[in-house]
Amino acid sequence: MSNQKKRNFQIEAFKHRVVVDPKYADKTWKILEHAIHEIYNHNASGLSFEELYRNAYNMVLHKFGEKLYMGLVNTMTSHLKEISKTIEAAQGGFFLEELNRKWNDHNKALQMIRDILMYMDRTYIPSTQKTPVHELGLNLWRDNIVHFNKIQTRLLNTLLELIHRERTGEVINRGLMRNIIKMLMDLGPSVYQEDFEKPFLEVSAEFYKGESQKFIECCDCGDYLKKAERRLNEELERVTHYLDVKSEAKITNVVEKEMIANHMLRLVHMENSGLVNMLLDDKYEDLGRMYNLFRRVPDGLPTIREVMTSHIRETGKQLVTDPEKLKDPVEFVQRLLDEKDKYDRIISSSFTNDKTFQNALNSSFEYFINLNPRSPEFISLFVDEKLRKGLKGVSEEDVETILDKVMMLFRYLQEKDVFEKYYKQHLAKRLLSGKTVSDDAERSLIVKLKTECGYQFTSKLEGMFTDMKTSQDTVQGFYASHPELGSGPTLTVQVLTTGSWPTQPSITCNLPAEMSALCEKFRSYYLGTHTGRRLSWQTNMGTADIKALFGKGQKHELNVSTYQMCVLMLFNNADRLNYKEIEQATEIPASDLKRCLQSLACVKGKNVLRKEPMSKDIGEDDAFFVNDKFTSKFYKVKIGTVVAQKESEPEKQETRQRVEEDRKPQIEAAIVRIMKSRKTLDHNNIIAEVTKQLQSRFLANPTEIKKRIESLIERDFLERDMTDRKLYRYLA
Amino acid sequence: MRKEDTVKLISAEGFEFVIHKDAAMVSQTIRNMLTSPGSFAETEHGEVTFPEISTTILEKICKYFYWNLQFASGKETEFHIEPELTLELMMAANYLHT
Repeated sequence: MSNQKKRNFQIEAFKHRVVVDPKYADKTWKILEHAIHEIYNHNASGLSFEELYRNAYNMVLHKFGEKLYMGLVNTMTSHLKEISKTIEAAQGGFFLEELNRKWNDHNKALQMIRDILMYMDRTYIPSTQKTPVHELGLNLWRDNIVHFNKIQTRLLNTLLELIHRERTGEVINRGLMRNIIKMLMDLGPSVYQEDFEKPFLEVSAEFYKGESQKFIECCDCGDYLKKAERRLNEELERVTHYLDVKSEAKITNVVEKEMIANHMLRLVHMENSGLVNMLLDDKYEDLGRMYNLFRRVPDGLPTIREVMTSHIRETGKQLVTDPEKLKDPVEFVQRLLDEKDKYDRIISSSFTNDKTFQNALNSSFEYFINLNPRSPEFISLFVDEKLRKGLKGVSEEDVETILDKVMMLFRYLQEKDVFEKYYKQHLAKRLLSGKTVSDDAERSLIVKLKTECGYQFTSKLEGMFTDMKTSQDTVQGFYASHPELGSGPTLTVQVLTTGSWPTQPSITCNLPAEMSALCEKFRSYYLGTHTGRRLSWQTNMGTADIKALFGKGQKHELNVSTYQMCVLMLFNNADRLNYKEIEQATEIPASDLKRCLQSLACVKGKNVLRKEPMSKDIGEDDAFFVNDKFTSKFYKVKIGTVVAQKESEPEKQETRQRVEEDRKPQIEAAIVRIMKSRKTLDHNNIIAEVTKQLQSRFLANPTEIKKRIESLIERDFLERDMTDRKLYRYLA
Repeated sequence: MRKEDTVKLISAEGFEFVIHKDAAMVSQTIRNMLTSPGSFAETEHGEVTFPEISTTILEKICKYFYWNLQFASGKETEFHIEPELTLELMMAANYLHT
């Protein structure tokens, strides 16, 4: 290979055919110019594409590109000048049509010209950085037609006029509109924006400003919103039919600003039809419309939300502070629930379940429920009422919904421990008197409380249930081991764990001999099986069923409290007893005794005792007899004790005090927990942390926290920093 | 092969090649001729005359059109070009924008 002679390759520049004829360029251009004329005159069918293409090709190859390009510009310009004259001459309504037709013609011609001049487009134009043929055609159209003085203003006015006519209800040729707008868009975004969109938006703003002013003077809020909504939809429709998609946001913005944002406050506060009235009358549709429209403008939703919040707060405040409505706690809570339901429905059906609205609703409820310090008590009473009788014949699901609703109110309470206190009391009463309707419902509520507030909150409540259950077993066991007790009075004992139950220290009264013997037997049985326990009798919480025989031989079974039973049993051995004697024999505390005697002697229809002198109140010197004339339609007579369902003032104070007392250790525990992890912390931070930790149970009072801190310092849990007195240190 | 689907290409010497439109449209120039909105003579008669392309070259071009379609559909074979045709073929390719 190496000794072979190398052949030298040389590449020579390719030589084009030399143009002989100096007039070649002019001649060729004449052919092309003629062809362009023919194309504009719709007369192209006789032309040979190949020939024209070849001519243009050769012109470019032979460096006559410049001549070709300039020739094209001049020819096209002169054609467009002609066209502009015919468009200008078009009369009135035909103006747009003529423009549209010419535009289509031009487009078609332009494409053909571009095709035959494709070689120029491909090679000459990029290398000389001239405008490509198609764009050139559009630019020339823009400069000679659309921006031609007389046409430009006429075009704009015609378009705006047509849109105005459509807004006032006339039908216009939308297809034509679409074509013309499309033309403006084809000529480049700036042409569309400058020549049409900007003035269009200005005119629209003017139009809607006037219209909204007119509407707001004569329509109520609901109607106004309907109109605004319709206008908005019309504009959206307009955009989809014949405007650029990009204009959608702009034109809706204009409508929103002119029709909604500028009149927002006036609409919301409109007398007799504003937001508050819509809320009052449950106008879901109007509210939904308002929500949807206001959502579009800045500050729209916050405005609605604020007005709604202040309205709920205001009505809620009236609700919880109206002394009339506080008389019946059940009614009171029911009202709260109704109110909540109402707004829940509004939010779900009109405000698309907007989270911020739900939060606003919750915070409003939280605000006004806690305005009334008795809310926890009332809610507990409501539950009590429902669980005692309200739930009879109600399906399980309904029970669940009611309980869920109650739980919702419960969540709003700041002083959950107060609720716990009352709930415990009420639950104890329910359990001991056996009045609870559904064990399942009770338990389900406890589970709910547990998930809401944790194990600690309900452990005692659960303890109460356990006690009830074990007591049943114990009593059964007791009777099983004492078969001789079959005859004679039946004793049912509920053994309650101290601490779990809200027991008041009470003096045990003297039970009748039969009963106390039985009680003794039970005591020895119980202590026999459970060593190391102490059993004390809570006679103030019991009930008894006793059979009584009256003067004319009518038999009745009386359902009474233990105290009442003790009093009545005294009359087995006496016909007449005065107050002092009864008090001595039973040793019932004076206030309870008076209450119990009152219910036995002074309630019409249930007065199994007769009193001398006859009066409403029990005096120290009164004497009592068996009421021989007692009659009742029923065999069983339930004699209630006169008890206030609601707590009386002093009781309330007492409960309050106990709650405060209970809070102390909790606050202290929280402080110690926090300090143990932080070691040092300043005063304000401690307060904040403690409040946060205890929030789920109650709202801790800062002064109380301060007191607790001081007490902890005294007991050497904490110390103040020597230099910074505001700083506390944890002492391990 | 229906007549509407074909196009007749005529060389400088007058030889006629009838090929598929699909194949002819591999050339951007021919594609424009056949699809241009105005009705040029070529579109109406379905034939194109190339007075500057010789029969040999046009034949080679037609072969190339079909080869190109096959290649595009995944059949990758070699396209053989005789060296003596190269130059003229390149000029025609430039003209036809292939």
